Amino acid sequence: MADLSGDSKGVRKVFSVFLPLAFGLRYLMDRKWILAIVIIASVISTLFRLLVPIFIGDAVTSIQKLQYSDVEYYSLLIFAVSSISGLVQFVVNYGSQYISQAYAYNLRRDVFSHLVRKKFSFFEEQTSGDLLSRSTMDIEASRNFILNTASQLIPTLFLIIFAFVFLFTISPYFAGIFSVAVPVLIYIGIVFQRKQRTHWRRIRTYYGQMNEQLQENIVGNRVVRGFSAEEQEMAKFSSTTGSYYDEYIIVAKLRGRYNNLMPLVVSAAATGTLLYGGYTDIIGASVVGPLVAAVNIFSLISFPVSFLGRLIVFSENARAGISRIQTVLDREKDEDLEFGDQVRVRGNLEFDHINFRRENFEILKDISFEVKAGEFVGLTGRTAAGKSTLMNLIPRFYDPDSGTITIGGTDVSKVSLAMLRNSVAFVPQEINLISGTIRENIAFGSSKGELDTIKWAARIARISDFIEALPDSYETMVGERGITLSGGQRQRVAIARALLTKPEILILDDATSSVDPETELEIFREIHENLSGTTVITVTHRESALRFSDRVFSLNDGILSEEAPAEKVPMAPDEFHAGEKEADN
Amino acid sequence: MAYEYEQEEEKFIPMQKGSRAFGRLIKDIFSMRRESGLLIGAVLTTAIAGTLYPLSLAFAINSVIAGNFKDLYIYAAIFLLLYVVQFFSNRERTISSTILAQSVIRSLRERAFENLQYVPVTFFGKVKTGYLISRITNDGETLSEFLTFQLPQVVSGIATVIVSISIMFYYDFSLTLYALIVIPALMGFTLSLQGKVRRNYLRTRRAIAAITGNLSENINAIRTIKSFNVEKNMEGRFDSLNTTNFSANMKASLLSSLYGSSIRVIEAVGIAIVLIAGGFQLKAGLANVGILVAFVVYVQEFFEPVVQLSQLYNSYQSSMVGVARIYGIIDFPRQSSTEKATLPAGFNDHIELRGVSFSYGEDDALRNINIKIRKGEKIGIVGHTGAGKTTLSNLIMKYYSPTEGEILLDGQSLNNISTGDYRKLIAPVLQEPFMYKGSIYDNVLFSNPSATREQIDDLVKRFSLGEVFRNLPDGLKTNIGEMGRNLSEGQRQAISILRAFIRDPEILILDEPTSQIDPHSEKLIIDSLSDFLKGKTLILITHRFSMVALVDRIIVLNEGNVVEEGKFNDLLSSDGMFHHLYSIQYGNPDGP
Repeated sequence: MADLSGDSKGVRKVFSVFLPLAFGLRYLMDRKWILAIVIIASVISTLFRLLVPIFIGDAVTSIQKLQYSDVEYYSLLIFAVSSISGLVQFVVNYGSQYISQAYAYNLRRDVFSHLVRKKFSFFEEQTSGDLLSRSTMDIEASRNFILNTASQLIPTLFLIIFAFVFLFTISPYFAGIFSVAVPVLIYIGIVFQRKQRTHWRRIRTYYGQMNEQLQENIVGNRVVRGFSAEEQEMAKFSSTTGSYYDEYIIVAKLRGRYNNLMPLVVSAAATGTLLYGGYTDIIGASVVGPLVAAVNIFSLISFPVSFLGRLIVFSENARAGISRIQTVLDREKDEDLEFGDQVRVRGNLEFDHINFRRENFEILKDISFEVKAGEFVGLTGRTAAGKSTLMNLIPRFYDPDSGTITIGGTDVSKVSLAMLRNSVAFVPQEINLISGTIRENIAFGSSKGELDTIKWAARIARISDFIEALPDSYETMVGERGITLSGGQRQRVAIARALLTKPEILILDDATSSVDPETELEIFREIHENLSGTTVITVTHRESALRFSDRVFSLNDGILSEEAPAEKVPMAPDEFHAGEKEADN
Repeated sequence: MAYEYEQEEEKFIPMQKGSRAFGRLIKDIFSMRRESGLLIGAVLTTAIAGTLYPLSLAFAINSVIAGNFKDLYIYAAIFLLLYVVQFFSNRERTISSTILAQSVIRSLRERAFENLQYVPVTFFGKVKTGYLISRITNDGETLSEFLTFQLPQVVSGIATVIVSISIMFYYDFSLTLYALIVIPALMGFTLSLQGKVRRNYLRTRRAIAAITGNLSENINAIRTIKSFNVEKNMEGRFDSLNTTNFSANMKASLLSSLYGSSIRVIEAVGIAIVLIAGGFQLKAGLANVGILVAFVVYVQEFFEPVVQLSQLYNSYQSSMVGVARIYGIIDFPRQSSTEKATLPAGFNDHIELRGVSFSYGEDDALRNINIKIRKGEKIGIVGHTGAGKTTLSNLIMKYYSPTEGEILLDGQSLNNISTGDYRKLIAPVLQEPFMYKGSIYDNVLFSNPSATREQIDDLVKRFSLGEVFRNLPDGLKTNIGEMGRNLSEGQRQAISILRAFIRDPEILILDEPTSQIDPHSEKLIIDSLSDFLKGKTLILITHRFSMVALVDRIIVLNEGNVVEEGKFNDLLSSDGMFHHLYSIQYGNPDGP
């Protein structure tokens, strides 16, 4: 029993090389038949390739027997089988590329769709640089293994099986020598695999860290320069590349030993065959053809076998990569955008006994309040009082620990996220523009991207004058992170973007902090006039920004209270019209 | 069409030709004398041992035919010995090639990283972060395969071909000629495909860079994406890049697979020719069986490197594109003033902006600005959004150089002053507070590693910032996520303030330092500031007025021009732009 379990453990170890393949198959289900064709093709290709040494042996025999006409016959046969093997090899090579690329394509798609559906909390734990490396290099590492499995590993395994069969037909003794070599090869493979595992994990982790540091350094380049911290940064990066380097060298030393042992084992077997075969041939005065064939078979498999070691390297690299990809594929932190009622919510917004805590710290304590549909409400309070958190609960970027939020009487947790976020537009503090034109950036929240609507939104957000003064107007390209736009301009693009969806509820989470007070006031006025049915909540510290609010709430230490309206009583729209006309004239 | 950005980037960061980059790479490799020597030795030993073994096989077989036991044993022993030699030389080759490859990659990455610290700040506005990261990490990685496996393989392949052809000529001149008949066909075929293969590879590199760039952008903009509920649109964009990448790769692989198969067929022709010709020669008594067998093995042997050469070519192309992209970063000219500026910075009297204009490309962001700031003076710069306030601070920080005019420190042009030295005088609080992953302490100490935690605690107390951090479980020891995502904007700003103040600088540049901090905490900070600022020079940029009490003089910017300048009270009583701005904020009814 003990032996048996030991054996099955050994078998499992051998098959653990294929673990990445098992993972990969999930992404190849719709391409099973191509995989089958590749496998069949590699069977045919290796079979025909192994016929070459057999015919060479026969040719030598006929030469030795002085039957020269047979030599021509065998030469033609060799040409035929090599050609067939070569042509079929095309199917193997192209097919395995296809499989590996299809795998990477499907996996990337899957990773991407998981990534954009992750909850906010996921991105607080992960760094973007590391996530980037998970979704690029780690996928590539596993793709490389799939490619080499299909194009090398599977053919090599068939090659070994067929070599055994062919050797057996030549002489059972040759096959006997060969069968001693195989377990030795497997043993070396297992030891090699085990020894390098931890190192590959570290290599992939350091690689992620490298990405992370680059990302931080590039995004924070002004801060680094501003504080002359360049050398500090270089030392930090260098220590990561150093650790990465060290791990690689350890793996290289392992590979140097174990990988090269493999062909040595094969050639020891070849020498054994040569000695035994030569000895018996001399004793029996028989033809050397079969011996030549046998030794040639050994030399044919020697190269693919030496490649096995590299495959084990690829496999370990892929395994380390896949386990990192799993973090992204794990559903636990995914949001289901479609689940729930497909209704557009509208009406009064009501918070009912909301509590929210983070790491045992109570951020929101038993908050209840109501905002009427169409109201313009200000939310203020001390720094880090939980204002943003409270607002984040409305489009459900976070869920409260207890209590419910309803819009028009509908519990927001019952509505599908897609629909909820369609009705509630949230303009965050931190604005990222996507690379593309200003028009694309404004349109990106809405399927109705007609220029007229975009211009309308841009006008309300008080950015249209700026845009129209640009040489390419709405078609002007904005760089990544909108670097060529100032903070205030970026915020206004984001507001325009939010307005385009004609939301039921518009949340401006300090979304005008970089806009000057005059413009800010104009934006609020425009929103007030043009989106009269929309409920607006603005979060701000600034008194000036609260002047428009019908009501002002204040959040302090997690407790909400309603304040007396700001100093300046909200002005009625017609009053503003009057003011504006005066100013214009 | 999908590669518009990529082409633009390639124009912006010039790329050397693959062959030029390759030459440079080889130079880098040979600069590691010991390892490259060992590698070449190992590769040649492997190649020679590899070429001798068919010969020992030939002699062994001849001795079997001749019935000579002793010779059989000798040649079989030599046969095995050659493999043992190969084991050791291959081991050396594996190790030294990895050391070479990884050292080269490491040094490329570090040099690229280093240069990134000194390129002009405008660089980062033109290049996408994801692409930049991809150049340094992914493109570096393509070298690994090439340098560790492919390049030594080729050197060994070439050595094998040379040695084996010499041996063949030595043993049978005419049979060798027959064996070599296929070589011209092989070469012609290979050369004819080169251009196409290269184009294919460039396309795949671009496609994968586009994917990386898109991913990076999406990861960074994830909050915006979720806020606007556009996950599906983003998926659509990604899908099209993913599909382009797939088809680019399949196209490249179609060609290389066809090539691989054709080589096999040409090889078969070669073997058949040797056998037929060999048969005739045997008939004529010109050759022996063993040599014929050896020749067949030789023909197979030198096709092996050729088959690999096709793989190498792929790998060569992709790594040369990759390495050229890294060299592009390494060679990118540094901010011109950083290079030649050597004068030490001393600040004794004044900073002066003399006739300074600046443009980001289109219109002037600043026009003919003349400002003189005395040491110890505190000035405020106010104006609308987009008036050029931040641009002005960027120029003073020496992030950009003026397009016209110059900035002088004690009469000496900033262009001549060492940037590092100069920036040691200054501490900025920038508009977008940047945070590292780590504790708040780490984030503050970043600007002054020699400071202690106690000093930070003192600063926190002095500016009453404890309140701002009160909701953090571990206080200043709390680990903040990347970009400080676990914090509120106000907290990030507070860290940014601490970071600047812990340097105890001579010049403070504050760009909207308290815009996200609540009025109560802001007031506490301002109260303590006047004491802290004693003897220091302050440049305060704001469009809000809560802090202007701190400054001696106010400069009002509008559309890149200085429109007003003077003391707070004077400006307020005159009916100018300042008065106008002030009224809006404090709701003076006689405003607009």
